Amino acid sequence: MSGAEFLSLAPLALTGLAGIAGMALAPVAPARAVRGVTAALVALALVVALSRAGAEPAAPYALMVDDGLARFGTVLALLAGLGVLAFARAEGGAREAPALVAVATAGAVALAGAAHAAVLFLGLEITTLAMIALAVLPRTAEAAEAGYKLFLMAGAGAAALLLGLAFGFADSGSLMLDAWAGGGPVAAVGAALVLAGLAFKFSLVPFHMWTPDLFSGAPASAAAMAGAVSKVAVGIALLRLTEAAPGGAAWPLGLALAGGAAAILGNLVALRQESLSRMLGYSTIAHSGYLALVLAAGGGLAGEALLVYLAAYVPAILAALCVAAALGPVTRDDLRGLVHRQPLAGAAMALALLSMAGLPPTAGFIGKVYLFSALAAAEAWALLGVAALGAALAFVYYLRFAVAAFASAEGAPGPTLGWPARAALVVALAALVGPGLYPEPLIALASAAALP
Amino acid sequence: MALTLQILLPFFGGFAALLAPRLAGLSERWTTIAVMALTLIVLLLAVVSGDDGRWLAFTRADWAPSFGIQVLLAMDGLSAALLAVSAGLGMICVFISWHVTHRSPLFHAAICWTVAASNGVFLSFDLLILAFFWELMIVPAFLLIALWGHGDREAAAIKFLVFNAVAGLGLLAAVFWMGATSDPITFDAFELARDERSHTAQVLLLLGFAVAFMVKLPVPPFHAWLPDAHTNAPTAGSILLAGLLLKTGAYGLFRFPPLLFPEGLVTLAPWGMALGAFGVVYGAVLACGQTDAKRLVAYTSVAHMSIVLMGVCGGVHFALMGAGVEMIAHAFSSSALFLLIGALQHRTGTRDLRELGGLQKTAPAFATSFALFFAAALAMPGTANFLGEALVITGMFQVNWVLAAIALVSLVVSVVYATRLIGGIVFGEPKPAVQGAHDLYRHELWPIAVLGLCTLLFGLFPQALISVLRPAVEAALTPLLFVQP
Repeated sequence: MSGAEFLSLAPLALTGLAGIAGMALAPVAPARAVRGVTAALVALALVVALSRAGAEPAAPYALMVDDGLARFGTVLALLAGLGVLAFARAEGGAREAPALVAVATAGAVALAGAAHAAVLFLGLEITTLAMIALAVLPRTAEAAEAGYKLFLMAGAGAAALLLGLAFGFADSGSLMLDAWAGGGPVAAVGAALVLAGLAFKFSLVPFHMWTPDLFSGAPASAAAMAGAVSKVAVGIALLRLTEAAPGGAAWPLGLALAGGAAAILGNLVALRQESLSRMLGYSTIAHSGYLALVLAAGGGLAGEALLVYLAAYVPAILAALCVAAALGPVTRDDLRGLVHRQPLAGAAMALALLSMAGLPPTAGFIGKVYLFSALAAAEAWALLGVAALGAALAFVYYLRFAVAAFASAEGAPGPTLGWPARAALVVALAALVGPGLYPEPLIALASAAALP
Repeated sequence: MALTLQILLPFFGGFAALLAPRLAGLSERWTTIAVMALTLIVLLLAVVSGDDGRWLAFTRADWAPSFGIQVLLAMDGLSAALLAVSAGLGMICVFISWHVTHRSPLFHAAICWTVAASNGVFLSFDLLILAFFWELMIVPAFLLIALWGHGDREAAAIKFLVFNAVAGLGLLAAVFWMGATSDPITFDAFELARDERSHTAQVLLLLGFAVAFMVKLPVPPFHAWLPDAHTNAPTAGSILLAGLLLKTGAYGLFRFPPLLFPEGLVTLAPWGMALGAFGVVYGAVLACGQTDAKRLVAYTSVAHMSIVLMGVCGGVHFALMGAGVEMIAHAFSSSALFLLIGALQHRTGTRDLRELGGLQKTAPAFATSFALFFAAALAMPGTANFLGEALVITGMFQVNWVLAAIALVSLVVSVVYATRLIGGIVFGEPKPAVQGAHDLYRHELWPIAVLGLCTLLFGLFPQALISVLRPAVEAALTPLLFVQP
């Protein structure tokens, strides 16, 4: 194995190593040390991944690719993983949380570069299993319910995915993802099953039922794995599969249906939520729906739009969940006066909500610009209408929560944030406002990464 | 550079106002005033050193070149006038909000950001940047209503936001359509104006633009947010809504449909004029029935902005010039009225016309100011409002005399509401609520004086305003296809 090939695998290896180190240290070292070591290794993986920007793609090996898409996904997933580590507290006295975050992130990194059905399946399952363990760590009834629901659904999703991969193999005789173009009825059934399996992980309707429970019952770190880290990875896997175009017309049709339903239903139900975390849970379904719509429409801008949208969504959801993690289970009323009591947390929450609503001057606006442009460029007017309707509904609930944060109210100052969480919030704020005001670097990165 | 500063100065000035008290111990009020004054000075310099051609100043720079987005700012007389109004009103808002102490830095920052975003709308000719500022403008105005308003302010703020943000999606969708179908991808309005488009496409795109602009304007049936927003907003919020945000809608209608979709405009203009005529009558009649002074003025805004819509759709020289003048005049008169009503509410605790009265006995300067701006709202000769409405109606007679007659008749109704308002507040025996109401303070008097002076000056000596607006009006002239012989 050459040095370049070794380097191209190093982010995955280092993240996996972070998981192992975290696990090994958890019984013997204090929680801070465990978290520090894990985070340091993940950060090292990030540095290696960043240092490879612009490097020649390493020679292709059987299982993984090393293209722009994989690198973009790797960096974004590692950043998100680091963000989660910054605020994942040792919930329920469990010191394994950082290790589980690292393992899930490793799965996401593998998924971002997956070129082979086995890596796709393994990456997904590593992420999901770590997420389940993370969800049940607090050992409360709600957490157990959330974890159990996720476990059952994830099992069904994994079964569908495996069966779909088998059908695909039967049709094409290859397990490489890019060998699946077109095909007859067997390929179509396989594509539909693979899509159903991925739709579970991406929380598209009707496979979304676990998401709100995970967001409200499980610790925020588990929700962040579903909302940020695994969303990036699964989104990129979906993009890769979409470019391979398995199963002919079945694939875009399925994406359009599941995505459209997610965009509408997620937003409609989120309208009625009073709990912050349940609102975020339903809204993340809607965001997955928008991305599925973009992929369904296809066209030249789709890949770029997906990457920009993900890069805008990840800091927003992480900032919101970071604040939610510090506050505990809160309703909209509990948020009142947050800007007053904790300026940084309040400002981060408000800007994150603005960004998710797609209002300037945040990255979310650029994401929305790309979303609409990609749909318009593909002349998918019906899908554009669905996305616009979803975005219109979303204004209402995001802004209701945002204004609550600004409202004046007496209240306890609430728990303070530790410095890693504060640092993560500052980075997230910069990542929200920076591209919102000057999007060129992000756009350049995304368009370079989306090139096949 | 001067044009970029018109946006950047208030934008960063907002952060300065937010942080100055904490970091430097400076007053956020004086910081905001300094920012607005500086913006005005830069504007003045830009106008004085402006070019003679179509544009006084023009700036083009890349913002996101790989996506075809530029910073493309252009200023002519119309933009310059609106920019001056915006910075001036921003300054006035500070003076009349001297009593605001609750989280004052954020309050003043929100004023700055509203000014920055609406300046962006008045200058941008890259349609995506226009949409950016269009949406951005909603956020600080939303905060002003939601945090410093009265009554059911959060519901009013959400209503404001939902109406405007949803309508903004129409603009966004139309802009994306145009951008995505251009090759190479661009959002430059001047480039896009040269693209060939089918008639159907022009009509559909124009509808997308028009929805956004008409909600902001607002004309019925898109006006439902305005009375609630005005009633529940703080005085500064009402002033910025009436003086700036409504004008962005009028400006958008004035500027972009004739440039981008002239054929679509010819098809839709009769409908626009009819809607405008309906709005004039509707706003005036509803204003007569109000007992809340702010709601009354809000409905008169609906009527006056409907006149602007008629003028813009009229497409002839007189009508367009009238629409331009009315935009500026209404910015002065409506913000002055909201200022006065806000000051009165602050003193008496009520805006109910049945509990007010007799102000001329207790507070003569207050009462005189009210009388002057009622006269302006009534479009009395001598005020700039008269000039605007007279020009629009003259122009309308060239195009469609039925609609012109309707608009003319509805002006009679404005006498009813103006006398209701003036009788309810100024004349009669002083009611208990008005007893002991202090006359105008100095910090309220001079903004009123400036606004009053502008109203009278442009009413009595209109030539200056007319020649400033001429290039914009000439560019907005549409082929007179629908003029009746």
